[in-house]
Amino acid sequence: MLKQLVFLIFLLGCPLVIATEAIPLEAVFLLQWEHVLFLLIVGLVGGLVSGFIGSSGAFILTPAMMLIGIPAIVAVASNICHKFPKSLVSALKRIKHGLVDIRLAIVIGISAEIGILCGVYLQIHIRNIFGNTGSNIYITIIFLLVLAILGLYNLRDSQKMRKTGESELFKINKLAQKVRSIHIPGTMMYFPSLDTRISVLFTIPIGFFTGLLASNIAVGGFIAVPAMIYILGAGGLMASATQLLIAFIIGVGGTVQYAISGFVDIRLAMIILAGSLLGIHLGAIAATYAKDYLIKLVTGILMSLIFFSLSVKMLIYINDTGHIKLVIETITTLNYVSFNLFNLALISGTVIILYTLISGTIKYNKAQRFMEEELALSPKIDEDDIVSNSITQLSPTGRFEKILLVTDRSQATIGATREAIRLAQRTDGKLIAMSVVMMNPEHASLARQLIEKENDDTLSHLEQVRTEATKAGVSCDISVRHGIEIYQEIINEAEQNHVDVIVMGRRGMTGLMRLMMGSNTAKVIGHSQCSVLVVPRTSMIQGSKILLAVDGSRYSDIAASAAMSIAKHIHASILVVSVVYSDLKEKRYTEAVQEIKRVESFLTKEGIKVTGEVLSGRPAEVLIEIAEAKGVDLIVMGSHGRTGLDRVMLGSVSDRVIGYANCAVLVVKF
Amino acid sequence: MNTTGKAVMQTIVLAVISIFLYFLLYYWSDYIMNWSRQGGWYFVIPVVIAFIFSFAHGTFANHFWDMLGVKAKSVKK
Repeated sequence: MLKQLVFLIFLLGCPLVIATEAIPLEAVFLLQWEHVLFLLIVGLVGGLVSGFIGSSGAFILTPAMMLIGIPAIVAVASNICHKFPKSLVSALKRIKHGLVDIRLAIVIGISAEIGILCGVYLQIHIRNIFGNTGSNIYITIIFLLVLAILGLYNLRDSQKMRKTGESELFKINKLAQKVRSIHIPGTMMYFPSLDTRISVLFTIPIGFFTGLLASNIAVGGFIAVPAMIYILGAGGLMASATQLLIAFIIGVGGTVQYAISGFVDIRLAMIILAGSLLGIHLGAIAATYAKDYLIKLVTGILMSLIFFSLSVKMLIYINDTGHIKLVIETITTLNYVSFNLFNLALISGTVIILYTLISGTIKYNKAQRFMEEELALSPKIDEDDIVSNSITQLSPTGRFEKILLVTDRSQATIGATREAIRLAQRTDGKLIAMSVVMMNPEHASLARQLIEKENDDTLSHLEQVRTEATKAGVSCDISVRHGIEIYQEIINEAEQNHVDVIVMGRRGMTGLMRLMMGSNTAKVIGHSQCSVLVVPRTSMIQGSKILLAVDGSRYSDIAASAAMSIAKHIHASILVVSVVYSDLKEKRYTEAVQEIKRVESFLTKEGIKVTGEVLSGRPAEVLIEIAEAKGVDLIVMGSHGRTGLDRVMLGSVSDRVIGYANCAVLVVKF
Repeated sequence: MNTTGKAVMQTIVLAVISIFLYFLLYYWSDYIMNWSRQGGWYFVIPVVIAFIFSFAHGTFANHFWDMLGVKAKSVKK
């Protein structure tokens, strides 16, 4: 890994070594307020489209800049600059999940850097010889070719998908098999994602042309992803994820190359970024409501309209060279037509995407309301059953009729899943299994199918949980939520379903890391209105003994009520513990003894076997020690409900107990 | 402060940071443009600015839409 990182740094440093000398530039583009407004709108629509189609919006942004008179080379340079940071963040996330073939990305990245170097030299050379007009014509020709090919392809594919529901993309053909079978001595390299050795002579052209295209129109993924799939035989997901790292390498390389020559206009890049980041979110969310063929159709329509807009503009560029002579009225008309064709593209794209988003949201909310109404109208449980099943559940803190299990595919939630099902079984409760897919639309827009894969994996995991629950005779609903704050989504789900307890796993973060990063479990405890049961991976609630922590506050009274309810369900005895930790130990000791007697009396009346102990020391550490010594398999404690800075400054006993206890911990809220 | 209030406060803080950054860019635009167009090692300026703005404004944008409740649909079965 270290070797690969050093290599990557070398790779990014390449352009510096081969840096060009500074080339005299024309004056800085005079930015008027109307330009700023136009670029903000274009950025917004570019982001909207980018989020919707899951690809770069460069085919909108670069032509838009050219239409308002920004030289093509500056437009391309500024466009490359605005998007590489998000490629990095997204790539790092995929690397963490093992979806990126780093070796393949670096090998293609090296040749892409060479492609960028050549592309930038070519651009600058053309500009120096033929001026900005020549540069504009060169870039427009490349755009026209790319837009014509991809526009037609998307329109054709959308029609095919509409009829058959299948896309041509990502079907591996025989070419990949042929490439894999060719052995060229001295050039073979093993790539983990392909699980085979392939000659780098095949990867070099892929990288080179990707870099070359990126340096010319600010986007190269159109080549890299299909090439990795069709030529190298990589899986669609792996190719998309690997492309994110390649995009970052290309983005940095391109930005550095253009910036060294002074072509990056950071003002333009950041104005576009301002609109783009707001638009991407809406576009990515609209895509979750859209059918696949519609996404292709929108891409096709936009590309076609921009193709026609640039074709008209091309006549003006040719006129500027003096090869054709157009009268001023004709030029004005052509400018008008080109500009409005482009605006038509923006408006039609925006209308379709926003319509998809709004109608999708309305339909979805209607369906949700319908489900809730159905639930409310469903036959009520027989009164006799309520008494027999829920006699111990009259107190809201002791009720476990609706259990929300928060689970993911990690090992950390195995214990939580097992115990949530067992708890629902014992209390005759209903289980809701949920997962949260972290969705940062800004990154989702770069590789839409990666998010779809996460969704599918999450759904299949939840289906497995449901199968397990059904086998145990427990009714289970499943729910996948998307969001940027996991704890917030969990709280929303709990409140929406009026759950009685949230069951969660525990991650391995401790100490400073925990303090710095916080934990979703701690945040859920801090903000939830219901109790939270935290179950470490290996712990099991067998029903041998429950430890009830009391401190004389009303919070521990609430905890006692919940402990009583659980003890009845699992037929366990309760150990009531109060920990004295202050300078006035003697006074506190007497109070603690009285408190324990009070709770003991309450529990004994309910027919539960109880013992009590008063201990001294740091509460969290003492509770954990005694729990281990007495073979406790569940700690029940109240929560003082501290959140935010209070929690960090004052600490939370429940937080520390959850972090270090080997058994399950129920934090009771009121 | 409840979670909605906290989310609104967080979004406002992020918006202020984002606006402040754009104000700085506008205020110093002449200097920034002169430096960044000098070539050579001055290439670092646009790269660093792109990283900072992308992080700050990206975080604001995500919280903004999330606060307004514009979210991807949940799957329930």
